[in-house]
Amino acid sequence: MAKKFRSKKAVERTTNGVIYVILVVISVIWLIPFVFLVLQSLRGEPGATTNYFFPKQWTFDNYIRLFKNEGVSSSTGEVVSTGSYNFLNWYGRTLLISVCVTVIQTVIVLVTSYALSRLRFKMRKPLMNLMLILGMFPGFMSMTAMYFLLQLLGLTQNMSIVGLILVYVGSSCMGYYICKGFFDTIPKSLDEAARIDGASRHTVFFKIILPLSKPIIIYTILTAFMAPWGEYMFASLIANGDPSYWNVAVGLRDMIQREQLTAYSDSFQRFCAAAVVVSLPITILFFLLQRYYVEGVTGGSVKG
Amino acid sequence: MANLSLKHIYKVYPNGVKAVNDFNMEIADKEFIVFVGPSGCGKSTTLRMIAGLEDITAGELSIGDLVVNDMEPKDRDIAMVFQNYALYPHMTVYENIAFGLRLRRIPRDEAHPNGKFTKEEINSRVLEAAEILGITEYLGRKPKEMSGGQRQRVSLGRAIVREPKVMLLDEPLSNLDAKLRTQMRAEISKLHAKLNTTFIYVTHDQIEAMTMGTRIVVMKNGFVQQIDTPKNLYNYPGNKFVAGFIGTPQMNFFEGTLKKEGNSVRIRFDHSEAEITVPYSYFYKTRPDYLDGEKKVVIGLRAENFSIDPETLKTADARIPFKVSHKEELGNETLVYGDINMEGDGYVESTTRIIIKCREDVDLVSGDVAEAALDLDRIHLFDKETEVSILPRVPEYNYLDCEVEGGKLNFLGQTVELPPAIACEDGAGELLIPSDAIYAGGPIKAKVVGTEKAGELELCNLELGGRRLFAVAPGEGVEAGVGIDMKKIAIRRGEQEIVHPMPLKMRFEGKMTKRKETEEVEVKGKKKNKKVIKFYLSIEGVEFPAPAFITSKLIAALTAKRVFETALSFECTPYGLVPGETGIPATVERILDYGAEKFAVCRVGEQEVYVKAEEELSGEIFLTPDFNTIGVIQTDMDIRIV
Repeated sequence: MAKKFRSKKAVERTTNGVIYVILVVISVIWLIPFVFLVLQSLRGEPGATTNYFFPKQWTFDNYIRLFKNEGVSSSTGEVVSTGSYNFLNWYGRTLLISVCVTVIQTVIVLVTSYALSRLRFKMRKPLMNLMLILGMFPGFMSMTAMYFLLQLLGLTQNMSIVGLILVYVGSSCMGYYICKGFFDTIPKSLDEAARIDGASRHTVFFKIILPLSKPIIIYTILTAFMAPWGEYMFASLIANGDPSYWNVAVGLRDMIQREQLTAYSDSFQRFCAAAVVVSLPITILFFLLQRYYVEGVTGGSVKG
Repeated sequence: MANLSLKHIYKVYPNGVKAVNDFNMEIADKEFIVFVGPSGCGKSTTLRMIAGLEDITAGELSIGDLVVNDMEPKDRDIAMVFQNYALYPHMTVYENIAFGLRLRRIPRDEAHPNGKFTKEEINSRVLEAAEILGITEYLGRKPKEMSGGQRQRVSLGRAIVREPKVMLLDEPLSNLDAKLRTQMRAEISKLHAKLNTTFIYVTHDQIEAMTMGTRIVVMKNGFVQQIDTPKNLYNYPGNKFVAGFIGTPQMNFFEGTLKKEGNSVRIRFDHSEAEITVPYSYFYKTRPDYLDGEKKVVIGLRAENFSIDPETLKTADARIPFKVSHKEELGNETLVYGDINMEGDGYVESTTRIIIKCREDVDLVSGDVAEAALDLDRIHLFDKETEVSILPRVPEYNYLDCEVEGGKLNFLGQTVELPPAIACEDGAGELLIPSDAIYAGGPIKAKVVGTEKAGELELCNLELGGRRLFAVAPGEGVEAGVGIDMKKIAIRRGEQEIVHPMPLKMRFEGKMTKRKETEEVEVKGKKKNKKVIKFYLSIEGVEFPAPAFITSKLIAALTAKRVFETALSFECTPYGLVPGETGIPATVERILDYGAEKFAVCRVGEQEVYVKAEEELSGEIFLTPDFNTIGVIQTDMDIRIV
């Protein structure tokens, strides 16, 4: 009896169809909170929550009030100043910290990874394992000790920018793993050829290895930027409750917690507007560097 | 343009693996040297040590007159071509070639105020290199836009543009297809002729080695097997490995025994009925103990040294029957596979398989039994266990029957007075005369039958009493008569050696030590005491100030930390031990009088030591080694450091 065959193309079409449906559903689930956030930030009606999805009144007032440090009073419904709540200040501080951390951490990660990938020295493997294991412990375990240390050094509150940069950069070389994996895929003979050509180790690093490592540099920059940008715990601890030393994460958290969410209040809308503004730099960075980012993650993971 | 010298080079990895063992070689200027061997034989490691990409564990490497062991790769004035091309992917071909020139430091002068090549110079050099290699039109391209052959050309261009003293090529053609490989092979040979510089080329492909090298180094398991010209490697392989590695199809190897019967030798093949009798003249250089009909030997003969041509078969000294299994027709020639064991199967490699290379059309079919003639001039014999050639090009010893009678030695119809140093009972025995112990200008009249060149050695063939004698570089005037250096001969009686040659190498145990000493120095006209560290070599418990060149080599090889803990052996010759007022205490036991030379046999501890005695020596003496001729060996690893 002749066996029945299903066309290979038909099978492929069905499989692809199912996969796309699943992907679309997942994408929608992923996108809904963000769309909701954007819509809420443009809502003109007062009050904390609504029982409908699309706003009835569209406005940019929430953004304007956010940057003018104003808010609608939760009891009277009048526009009043938010006092020590200075969003621009938080935003600026966070940006400064993130940029500094990004620069320092990228340099540290790249040189550590290159050294671990190319140089052979005693205790190299134990050191790599140790760093990996240490990296598995959550950072907040050392929080209290770190706070006292920073306090001793006078790096809390008004010096919290420096303190936070130190804290964030402190363990950055532990993120060597993916970057080292990428360097491992660059043939060693390139280093050797360059050394015979007359290059010193640092010439090899800067002129040969770095130009070939664009994807992983981008990846390192992105991860280095994102971590302090949304960090909450250390930032809130070191600011010690003074709103002028907060970063955006601490500030926003406080915004919806302290301000009463009544029928008059606009703090939830302002919170959403702030969240949109906060997500902007990362979104822009991602869109610009997306191509490299994917290459970096997969390129490094080939050989771990 | 420079010569290279590798002296006792070792590479030992931290886990104890010895990748390269005692590599010794002198490479002349403009030579094309090929390192060849199976993977893992240490050929690339040796090349990388020359390049400076691997540290040398022990030994001395010089390029030109400079010892470069501790020099950075960039300062060695070498260039290297890698197997995977190692082109910088982000640079264009032009930038790739120019990279080395841009980095290079040159003496400052008016034309080069910043000590670097000018843009014009770099440009003209790059263009010239590109012209030589035919890549001018690709200069603006990136490596990924080029084919394998073009990339390898760029890689060659990057090397030649630096005008290095030595070009190192690490399997540069392995990534190319067969046709391109043949083409690039010719181009590299042409490049060598054009550049007139020393080339060192690593490959695992014996055809590349044979076609390109002026000399080839065959390596296996970190040991050099043989260093010779391609032709000599093919014709005179030193051991079975070299014989099998060089040449396609592989040399035929049969196991069997040889038995001398009068003036002929009977060869019996194992696992086969085959047996042939051939004239003894083919086996003059073979050690007699292999001709007893019992000791197993490996008989090697290349495919082209068999013939199935009816005319050749008629006149051949030896013929062997075989059963045809299959044929490989290659167009210009045919390879006939068979087995000398009629039950055997010629498909798999075995000790009875035979491969015959024929020029003519062969009408044999599978299952036919035919005869093949052997070209015995080309026969190779190897010891079955050690695989070393027992039909060497330069035989180490001449083996003769002899008789000792009343202090006289009779051999081959000659009678020679034995010197007082050789005292042995009367009787018959076997005399072993090393081929380098026969010198011109003695009383023995031997007929010179011919001389042959074996590498740099001249081998003189003599005939005496109907036997062939071999003498290495005996000197001028052999016709007038030859003599024998009696201190090198040995006489055996049965299994026992009753006369031993005098040992020419002795080892002492010791180590290196250091001490802080106060030394008087003059600082600004004032005499001051200064503490300095002095190094000593402690040999048999006696300390001698260590010469600077030995100290530096020991520290370089063993590191300053380990050098004082490492057990060392010191190797001396009887000529390298000088009796004096101080030194290693020794007791003279007797004097060996070889007529022309006298040696004192002394006892140092448990050890017997031979010392050249210019004057009469007796009783207690003290010996000082001559540090210019001494050898220093790390005892545990057996690594020669000096």
